[in-house]
Amino acid sequence: MTSSNYEAFRAEVVAWMHEHLRGEFEPLRGCGGLGDPGYDPKLAKRWEQELARGGWVGIGWPREHGGRALPLSQQVVFHEEYVRAGGPGRLGHIGETLLAPTLMAFGTPGQQRRFLPGIMAGTEYWAQGYSEPNAGSDLANVQTRARLEGDSWVIDGQKTWTSWAQESDWIFVLARCEPGSRRHHGLVMLLVPLHHSGVTIRPIKQITGESEFNEVFFDGARIEASLHLGAPGEGWKVAMALLGFERGVSTLGQQAGFEREMECLIEVARRNGAARDPVLRQRIAQAAVTLDALRCNALRVLAQDGAEKGDAPVSREAYIAKYVWSNWRRDFGRLAADVLGAAADVTDDDDPAAQKLRQVWLFSRSDTIYAGANEIQLNLIAERALGMPR
Amino acid sequence: MDLKLTDEQRQIADSVEELLANASDSARMRHAAFECGGFDPALWRQVAELGACAVHIPEAHGGLGLGVTELVLVAEAFGRRLACVPWLESAVLAGTTILQVGDEAVASRWLPSIASGEQVVTLDIGLLDRAPLTARREGGGWRLDGVLPAVPAAMAAQWLLLPVQGEEGRLLLAVAVDASGVSRRPRANHDATRPVAEVRLQGVLVPDGDCLARGVVADNALELGRRLTTVVLASEQVGVAQQCLDLTVAYLGQRVQFGKPLATFQALKHRCACMMVAVELARSAVLGAARQLDGQPDAGRMLRVATMARCLADDAAQFCTQEAIQLHGGVGFTWEFDPHLYFKRAQAARSWLGTPTAWRESLAAALLDGAAA
Repeated sequence: MTSSNYEAFRAEVVAWMHEHLRGEFEPLRGCGGLGDPGYDPKLAKRWEQELARGGWVGIGWPREHGGRALPLSQQVVFHEEYVRAGGPGRLGHIGETLLAPTLMAFGTPGQQRRFLPGIMAGTEYWAQGYSEPNAGSDLANVQTRARLEGDSWVIDGQKTWTSWAQESDWIFVLARCEPGSRRHHGLVMLLVPLHHSGVTIRPIKQITGESEFNEVFFDGARIEASLHLGAPGEGWKVAMALLGFERGVSTLGQQAGFEREMECLIEVARRNGAARDPVLRQRIAQAAVTLDALRCNALRVLAQDGAEKGDAPVSREAYIAKYVWSNWRRDFGRLAADVLGAAADVTDDDDPAAQKLRQVWLFSRSDTIYAGANEIQLNLIAERALGMPR
Repeated sequence: MDLKLTDEQRQIADSVEELLANASDSARMRHAAFECGGFDPALWRQVAELGACAVHIPEAHGGLGLGVTELVLVAEAFGRRLACVPWLESAVLAGTTILQVGDEAVASRWLPSIASGEQVVTLDIGLLDRAPLTARREGGGWRLDGVLPAVPAAMAAQWLLLPVQGEEGRLLLAVAVDASGVSRRPRANHDATRPVAEVRLQGVLVPDGDCLARGVVADNALELGRRLTTVVLASEQVGVAQQCLDLTVAYLGQRVQFGKPLATFQALKHRCACMMVAVELARSAVLGAARQLDGQPDAGRMLRVATMARCLADDAAQFCTQEAIQLHGGVGFTWEFDPHLYFKRAQAARSWLGTPTAWRESLAAALLDGAAA
């Protein structure tokens, strides 16, 4: 692709966002997601549908599944410009970037026809049912049970830390389908409707006071027997493949979001005089260049042969990706609080930049815990990337 | 920005690493560092024959015409093996500064012999405090008097490039080491793989023809050369950090305590994992910086990417060299094991071309005060 085409594509994204992120969608501008004050899930879903009509959902999906098959470089441009324009956190993220590629890899043609269009159109939302009270870092300790009874799967058990379940329609559930099986054997991945008898959702109040994640209880929930993704017994393989898709291009949208947070920090520091403190100056410059380095690392991951299809062997830069961004953001949160000073604690002003920074300070405590805590990341790096013995 | 490396780029890096892994292994590197004043002329010839000094020099001047990306790939091997050759000083620092002067006559006089390795040219980067060097107009040239306390590679060099304050602004002058009035004395330094020497100038006469640039042109060439070389130096630091990680993982795999290899202890595994995190993030920063420099960025962007590469690579080198000594235990504090050589390099490199603290402050000024880069 020539660079003029490339710039034309960038201009197209910028123009579209400018034209569409306005009017009724104005309140969503700059919102991170659930948990952000002012984030209205109903409006966010209408925004997803607006994006879908614009052709901006599934831009990397292959054409046979209704996607635009855009190369990575263009997907990156889209995510960057989306966030730069103030595009809100994507409610459809789990369906679009995690479940959809897994459906394409493991789903039957019938499942693909049934579920991909809803994800693409922004009419069906997905949650992820992996963690349980006794299966956090130790994911293979899954205890939720699924048994075939006639033409149904019957599910009993509990999932937890389920983000956005209260706003989702479906959940993919890792469950034990072979009684007596252990660890990663005998599991199945099930596609389960959330608004369904036998399924109860209970929001969990977080340290922010908001609820983004939930407990989800299954009490004899009964679903069609065809709703397993991949073969029963091979749920672990499907679950791991799904996590593999998490290293995709969406991290670059997240990156652009961090850049906006950095701009807020600089704005506040210039305003309140923190910018004159020599120690804070050093920390701000270090945070800025480390953020640039995260972007370089993400681009290096995407430059791997096979990254396009998601089947590249995990490279060393990919192993560190989650650890480095989450720790950057946690450090950044602390820096933001130090720049705010007393305004880190007194929260009822109407300064949007300060509000954003306070939120990052608190919310970033979760970044180093979810999706593989720091300690698990270091285990993986040592054992898989460095080959140290278990 | 596409960070994919081509096969040719990988081959260039591999060929230099292959040469240095053998010709600058621990024993040979130590011999050159401690018995030969930190310069291995035979290795220098091999490095030059391989084309390592010609990487970024334009083809018109006997070079390969490649970019900063190729330079940093090659630099990592030089750092990793602590190769006792003035590659960074001559090919990179002097070479890029001369290129940035942007004068064809200057380029064609100096670059071919730098690219072939036939001449070693170094540049005074102002290590240790000193009075600024001044020049007085005399006859058809300049007269220099002064002491440069620590000039890198000055003993191996045939020519010294000196930034000098003239009566009408900055000058970039070339002085032959055998010119009348020039004397050199090697300095004792911890990082024996990168020697420095004191240079005394007593009534040295520099003809007009040996002035490479004046005024703004000289200032710009020096600053651009500094920014570019900083990124290459950062890549050497990544090599330093990587070697410390590899030495440490290997040592922990062999050393048995409490009936099992140390490498099985989670506390130690996490330390190694943190080293790899620092190494890979720094490598990404260096590659990203190099790729952006190849795109001819403006001064603000250049400051930003050079600061990124410099700070991240410095962090990695400081952290990994310290951890390597610690995780080797008692033998980590012995002369016989290599970690101390890397620890000393990491510290010495830190004060070259602006400390990370100074780079961060320059960037902070641009970000927070709206200062021009």
